[in-house]
Amino acid sequence: MNCKVAIAYMHDYLDHELPKENGAELQRHLHECPECQRRLESLEKTDALLRAVPAERAPNYMAYRVMKSLPKTRSPRTWATWVRRHPAMSAAAMFLVVMVSSFFAMWNQSGQLTVRGADLEHVVIEGNTVIVPAGQKVAGDLTIENGIAQVLGDVEGNLTIIDGNVTLASTAHIAGKVKTIDRAMDWAWYKVTSWFDTLAYGS
Amino acid sequence: MKPIETRLARLARKGDQRAFAEIVDLYKDKLYHLAYRMMNNRQEAEDVVQETFLRVYKNLDRYDEEQKFSTWIYRIATNLCIDRLRKRRPIYSLDAESSDHEGLDGYAMMPSDDRTPESELILSETQRIIRDAIETLPAKYKSVMVLRYLQDMSLQEISDVLDMPVTTIKTRVHRGREFMRKKLENKV
Repeated sequence: MNCKVAIAYMHDYLDHELPKENGAELQRHLHECPECQRRLESLEKTDALLRAVPAERAPNYMAYRVMKSLPKTRSPRTWATWVRRHPAMSAAAMFLVVMVSSFFAMWNQSGQLTVRGADLEHVVIEGNTVIVPAGQKVAGDLTIENGIAQVLGDVEGNLTIIDGNVTLASTAHIAGKVKTIDRAMDWAWYKVTSWFDTLAYGS
Repeated sequence: MKPIETRLARLARKGDQRAFAEIVDLYKDKLYHLAYRMMNNRQEAEDVVQETFLRVYKNLDRYDEEQKFSTWIYRIATNLCIDRLRKRRPIYSLDAESSDHEGLDGYAMMPSDDRTPESELILSETQRIIRDAIETLPAKYKSVMVLRYLQDMSLQEISDVLDMPVTTIKTRVHRGREFMRKKLENKV
């Protein structure tokens, strides 16, 4: 055994990690190497001195100082804890809150006539009635909320009527679908899908 | 049955302040001893102890009961010490460069203490030399040696606290011990 290995063994020995057979090997080496013997003594002394460092005690006021520094109550944490432990439920609850509140926010807006579409120049509005005059052509979709649609001319996209009704004249020509939505649930569903459409197509 | 600290931690988590006070009582001296030897400054040691308990208190919900409570609290305290030592370094590094104290890092030059003359008298010359030798250990060896000797931890426990492989801890203990041996050899 060379001295380098012996020194590594000494450290393992001081860490109580030297296997017995290696211990015997080290012992044999120490018998023939006075330098390593001195090294071990020196290391053992260091080890003993470090172990004997007296423990420092915290000052008397330490516990008081710590307890005084704590925030007054832990109760606000419980809510945060619940959120952390049930992330999926929290996300679902959050989503529900947002959906319901936006639903009611939008629902409250209703009652007044709203007309939406890409091309509203060719549309005539009279009171509660939205008229597409004969011979006129509306490019793209047309959506009417809380109103009556009277179509005499052409609509090149879909026609959607929410909480209202539609009168189609014989001259009317609608390229897309005609959809009438009356109930709140349908309306909500329409809102959701149109929101996703906005997300998907950005229009 | 879970160890007492784990049960206390559970009570404290539910808002039981007395349970937390018991945790403080169990650990304040151990942590102070650790922090004082790491920082070599009583004021900073007190700050570290307070900050450790505050973090424990705030993060009781995150305490994983599968882990030993002592490992967790020692990790928080040790990291706080290491962070503080790291922040200390640049302020004093200029002084350290110009000094001829070989092996002294800048942070070792901190005006170390506010010990009263009375307690200075109790301190033996041997203890002073050992203390100074620990103080001159580079930070990464210092934390390992303090945990190994002053907190009497096994290599495995140190590895858990510092979140490092046991082999690394072993190497650091060996080097730290050699460093200390050289410092103490002809003085004590």
